[in-house]
Amino acid sequence: MFSKHKALDRRSVIKGAATSAAALLATPHIAGAQAKVIKIGMPTILSGRVAQLGTSSRNAVMMEVEKINAQGGLAGRTIEVVVRDSKGQPQEAARVSRELINTDGCEILIDAEASSGSFAVQEVVKDLGVLCIHTCSETSSLTADPKIRVPNAFRVCRQGIHDSIAGGEYAAKISLAKGLKTWATCSPDYAYGRDSTQLFVEYLKLFNPAVEVTTETWPKLFQPDYTEVITKLLQAKPQALYSCLWGGDLTSWIDQASIYAMFGQMEVFAINMADYTALTVVKNLPKGIHSGNRYIKTFPKTERNAKYGDAYRAKYNEYPTNWSWENAAAMQFLAAASKKANSADGKQIAEALRGLKIESEFGQDGTMTMRAEDQTVIGYAIGWGTTIAQEPYVPEITAGNWAKILELETAWKKKSGYL
Amino acid sequence: MSKPTAHTNRAADTPSRPPIGRASLQRDIIIAGVAVAALILLRVIWPSPAITDFTIRVAAYAIFATSLNLLVGYAGMVSFGHGMFFGFGAYCFGLVMQRLALPIPIAILITITATAALALVVGAICIRLKDIYFSFITLAFQMLIYSLIVAWVPLTGGDQGLQGGIPRPSFLGINLATPLHLYIFAIVMLALSLLVMRHIAESSFGYTLRMIRDNMERASFLGINVYLVRLIAFMVAGVFASLGGVVMALFVSGAYPEFSNWTMSGEGIFMIMMGGISTFIGPTAGAIILSLLNDVVTRRTEHHGLALGIVILVFALGLKKGVTDFAADWWRASGDSKGGKQAAEARP
Repeated sequence: MFSKHKALDRRSVIKGAATSAAALLATPHIAGAQAKVIKIGMPTILSGRVAQLGTSSRNAVMMEVEKINAQGGLAGRTIEVVVRDSKGQPQEAARVSRELINTDGCEILIDAEASSGSFAVQEVVKDLGVLCIHTCSETSSLTADPKIRVPNAFRVCRQGIHDSIAGGEYAAKISLAKGLKTWATCSPDYAYGRDSTQLFVEYLKLFNPAVEVTTETWPKLFQPDYTEVITKLLQAKPQALYSCLWGGDLTSWIDQASIYAMFGQMEVFAINMADYTALTVVKNLPKGIHSGNRYIKTFPKTERNAKYGDAYRAKYNEYPTNWSWENAAAMQFLAAASKKANSADGKQIAEALRGLKIESEFGQDGTMTMRAEDQTVIGYAIGWGTTIAQEPYVPEITAGNWAKILELETAWKKKSGYL
Repeated sequence: MSKPTAHTNRAADTPSRPPIGRASLQRDIIIAGVAVAALILLRVIWPSPAITDFTIRVAAYAIFATSLNLLVGYAGMVSFGHGMFFGFGAYCFGLVMQRLALPIPIAILITITATAALALVVGAICIRLKDIYFSFITLAFQMLIYSLIVAWVPLTGGDQGLQGGIPRPSFLGINLATPLHLYIFAIVMLALSLLVMRHIAESSFGYTLRMIRDNMERASFLGINVYLVRLIAFMVAGVFASLGGVVMALFVSGAYPEFSNWTMSGEGIFMIMMGGISTFIGPTAGAIILSLLNDVVTRRTEHHGLALGIVILVFALGLKKGVTDFAADWWRASGDSKGGKQAAEARP
């Protein structure tokens, strides 16, 4: 295999391997040497079917970072964002989070992971004590359950329980007005789909006890063909239908159901419809679908919000997503807390974050609050409206009642044993 | 497999070697002891969290990949569903720790017992089949376990995984919540697992496995209970895979359905392929290579799937051997040539 004189001998191979290994292992320590810079790590999903979660989250963060850095950064320290792809695997989310902290020297994490990844990141920050803001996990227990909650982790995004209460109240009003008593559901068959549907139905019945769910359909996540589901729904002939399908699943389902003229035969409540990821992709957006707002630049109907949507579109050639506003808002909270604490130190920022109220284009009344008791955001824009086929897609949105949401959320927490 | 491929034929082949003796075992124990001591020394001299994390992960994957190689390389049973035991081990251990709050060693013993029982049931059905049929039925069982984990939300947390962290109470002065202790624990687990698996592979049982791999009918005619031997191999491999799952569960303080997904089994196969099938240490080398590649490529590009795919293609289509296969060939060739040179020099 090797000639006698020119061949590598064992000793030189071992020496070479040792040198290479030493060089490789030493690399991480070069990172993070500049004290003037503060590194923010961002584990997220940049590949696969939900890559848009990661790309739109990253876009939003980078846009806010530009603004914050232009104003002097966090307490005088320029922000540098290090983004890593977890591929949507929780164990990989844990690994890259540890790597971001231990190797890249990140002092803060913006966790833009989907739910299971966020729980993995939560365990990492529990171990390592680094300040973390979760920005995409809507699973309520992440911050509601005291056994899971940690003092250095916060959440700046929607919560399933908030959406369910607001949706249940809105749908009950419509169902009372139109006499919609028989309902069907069509939601993805995994934890989010089942939890969201169960809570929506619970609150719908609370506000309108006459409602009865006669048919349930549970298509698989990322299912390509919905024919079976659609024909089952058409045969059941419910008066109204609830769905929490999202993203590509939602648009495929709508396109396929339109062929069967399903949307003319029942009132449809699709909580995730009013997001540009779905609105701009559906071929023929049916008129009159009821939807909760995800991100839409017409709600809150303020100049500031519209300006944000347009600026984002001008920069990235697409509208912001629900994940975009959540990540942008996280950076707004971070900047405000750092300013309040006059520090870029994670512990001091965490202290300043508890109970912090900020002005934001994403707030229902122009403000949002980081609730101190469970370190989660409240007061964000939440409401329901109906679709039209062209921009602005959902022209009028009825704002949710935050006082009612908080009252029922407290009752839900007690029922769940969290309080 | 009744008609093994060129790869499986070469697998761990030392057909003329007698089963492992006391001296060989002592040598292996010494090598394992030195390796553990060296790794502990490395951590003491260089207390880098990055190296600590990397080593713990590699330990989990190396135990898993080596256990898979017991089936693939030694027994010729190409399992596409070995990840089920990795995931089952992680969940079983995590649930015992969360719900029963037992000491960690007891939880590990319970995990081993439960995995052996699962492997007995699954194996009793799977090993009746051979070749591709065996591969696919193991994949089917894996997807069954995966679906069960996702569907049984009250117990497993569904697709969110086991939430709330896995408690890691101290035992015998060992606190696995500290990185150093977990690091030492992981490498000791790796060393012990490799030692036991090596002992099994080099025992008469291991050679029986090779015989069954090379010619099942002949082994049967010689009076070997092929069914029983294959079943025991399946159970042993499953138990060690679950230990890999335990180490991973301790590392991430959780358990997730992805641990039991087919992709985990695929990664195990890749590790064996890249590390080498003809040496016992090959899968461990493969675990290091794949983890290193994954970490480096993920840091550099979002198109990691493409980059890793190309590397795997190079190994599968181009090299057709793992790294340690080449190293072993070179070592033998180098040794032969050196021996020849010395012999020539000694010649009068």
